[in-house]
Amino acid sequence: MSFRWSRTAAIARKEVFHVLRDPFTLGLALGLPVFMVLLFGFAIEFNVKNVHLAVFDADHTRTSRQVIDTFGSSGYFIIDRVPSPEGAFHALSGDHDRAALIIPGDFQKNLYAGRTAQAQLLLDGSDNSTVGPIISYIGSIQTLAGRRIAGFDPPEPVHFKSRFLFNSELNSRWFVIPGLAVVVMAILAVLLTALAVAREWENGSMELLLSTPVQPLEIIVGKLAPYAALGIAALAFVYLMSRTVFAVPFRGSLLVYGVGCLLFLGAYLAQGLLISVLTRNQLVAMQVAIMTGLIPANLLSGFVFPIESMPAFFQYLTMIMPVRWLTVIARESYLKGATFTEMWEPFAALTILCVVMVLLATRKFKTDLEP
Amino acid sequence: MMGTLAGFLGKEMKQALRDPRMRILLFLAPIVQLILFGVAISNDVKNIRLFVQFDSADIVLQHVSERALASRWFLPANADRNSDPFELLRAGKIDAAVIPPPGGLTRAIARGDADLQLLVNATNVLQAQSVDSYLRNIVTRVVQEDMKLEPLEAPIRFDTRVLYNATLETSYFMVPGVMAMLMIINTMILTSMSITREKEMGTFEMLISAPVTVSEVVFGKTIPYMVLGMATLPLILGVAVIGFNVPMRGSLLMITIASLAFVCTAVAIGTLISTFAQNQQQSMMGGFLFLFPAVLLSGLFFPIENMPIAMKWMAYVDPVTHYLALLRNIMLKGGELDFALQRIGILTLMALVTGYISFKRFHTTLQ
Repeated sequence: MSFRWSRTAAIARKEVFHVLRDPFTLGLALGLPVFMVLLFGFAIEFNVKNVHLAVFDADHTRTSRQVIDTFGSSGYFIIDRVPSPEGAFHALSGDHDRAALIIPGDFQKNLYAGRTAQAQLLLDGSDNSTVGPIISYIGSIQTLAGRRIAGFDPPEPVHFKSRFLFNSELNSRWFVIPGLAVVVMAILAVLLTALAVAREWENGSMELLLSTPVQPLEIIVGKLAPYAALGIAALAFVYLMSRTVFAVPFRGSLLVYGVGCLLFLGAYLAQGLLISVLTRNQLVAMQVAIMTGLIPANLLSGFVFPIESMPAFFQYLTMIMPVRWLTVIARESYLKGATFTEMWEPFAALTILCVVMVLLATRKFKTDLEP
Repeated sequence: MMGTLAGFLGKEMKQALRDPRMRILLFLAPIVQLILFGVAISNDVKNIRLFVQFDSADIVLQHVSERALASRWFLPANADRNSDPFELLRAGKIDAAVIPPPGGLTRAIARGDADLQLLVNATNVLQAQSVDSYLRNIVTRVVQEDMKLEPLEAPIRFDTRVLYNATLETSYFMVPGVMAMLMIINTMILTSMSITREKEMGTFEMLISAPVTVSEVVFGKTIPYMVLGMATLPLILGVAVIGFNVPMRGSLLMITIASLAFVCTAVAIGTLISTFAQNQQQSMMGGFLFLFPAVLLSGLFFPIENMPIAMKWMAYVDPVTHYLALLRNIMLKGGELDFALQRIGILTLMALVTGYISFKRFHTTLQ
């Protein structure tokens, strides 16, 4: 018996009804991308502002007030006065403040005597999202305070100028949102597919389907098609949001980006199918899908954490993960406008992974069905 | 009542742990994630391919290049000296390039008009910023040394000390975060999926006709997952402390109480989700719809201080925010008592409110 599109379409129609009848799943499948894009778009800003700074001033002089004022007017800090040095420590250990400035009593005296006036700055090292940026601000605040208070302007033998290519304003959203499409597709493709197919095994309806004249391949294609459509819809949505609401530039070709996404979708749908065949149980399928699909998409794709910073083993491991390659394609397409030939490497890798995954999944699916 | 409940608990435990694959996954998943968070990922800048265009006469720039490559941050670019740095960056062969003024940096400094340009690929914003400030530092120091300039003592200096994590180990930050994530995934999603499974299989109707009260059903279905959640605490705490050397400076009792409050909240949320969901797929999606914002807004990846006001409020009603703050405070700072009491209080309140709502909804479903 050969492959027939009519039978495949029938399975697909059944699966579409299944999804449509269930407005909850549909709403979630479409709502999740909306939600995530808004969340990421609005919540993410790596340039920290409004850091609470506990200040203890034992000097009470014009100079010490000017130092505090330099911190306050930098826009990065909110000043909270504390009554004692112990109060400053307490503010840090009780999570009231992220940093503490302690100005000793001889601050102005030292400055006027021509010595270096030292103040102590304590940072809360338990929170990585703030401590890194704060450290980078301190140097410039120190220079600024020196210039404003003591008129200290050291000569600069070299004018160091930086140009930030592809994202000249260092906009955090431009960095995060292109990678977001990958994460959203990964959730929809692997998780939903794995669960939808595992449910058929769990309910025993897979055996029923197989006893009909429908071919295994037709079942696969029919079952996966609606989820592929959902994935593509989510992708289109993320693209539109990124362009309209967040004004992220798209400098490459939509065709190239689209091909990359389809290859990725193929690989991840096949992975979802493979998981469901291997587990045949929704709870286990979910756990495996999270471990092999979702977590890599978030952590090992280069979405936020750079792959170059990983230990060598993990750098190699990410090579067999479709998420890594699609993240490259997405970022290069959006920000650099890279062409197909410039990105031959990620495309080749993605193609190989897609073919291998589809072969594995269909082989496993078929052998499991042999009596 | 206790007898029925005990029977229920036994059944539920058996069911959760019957599948050997599930047993492995329940304990393997936390370890894998801890390793990923503790070892694999970091925001450190490493292995940036740096291209410096200098000729042999340009001693200062040569020293800059040597100094940069001596650190773990940079790798030498594999490119011809005369190639166009823009093209190299576009093609992705290098990540950053230093371009000297015409005639070389050494001579330009002597002339007094040295403009040094850095080109950096800013598709990764965080990396680009770090590369900029790091290279700036190197250039300042090298020029000072090579030109034999007197290092000028700044009139005002901040003596900066990082408390609680002096060397800024990434694992110290990340491991408490992944602990919070694991605790909520294992408890919330499993609870809601196990309850909806009863609905899906039709065994829920059987429960209603059986001589058990609603509270017996609710507690019987939820307590096992609280126990499971609490059982993962020593496991992940052990891996965190022994495997990753994350300090545990506070009291075990405090962390246990905090975790219990959090696990109860998670289980209550799971139960609430299950009252809305008709099948396991729905309850899983519902779980994710909660989990994603909960983890993202918790302050693990992005600072809460920066969020718009509406999102700040969302972060404050997010149990993960409070549990993460508690874990970091207890493990790294030794646990400040008023802070811990306040946050545990908030978590307990959340557990009670969500528990009450889900109990009410559960009641109506059962009637």
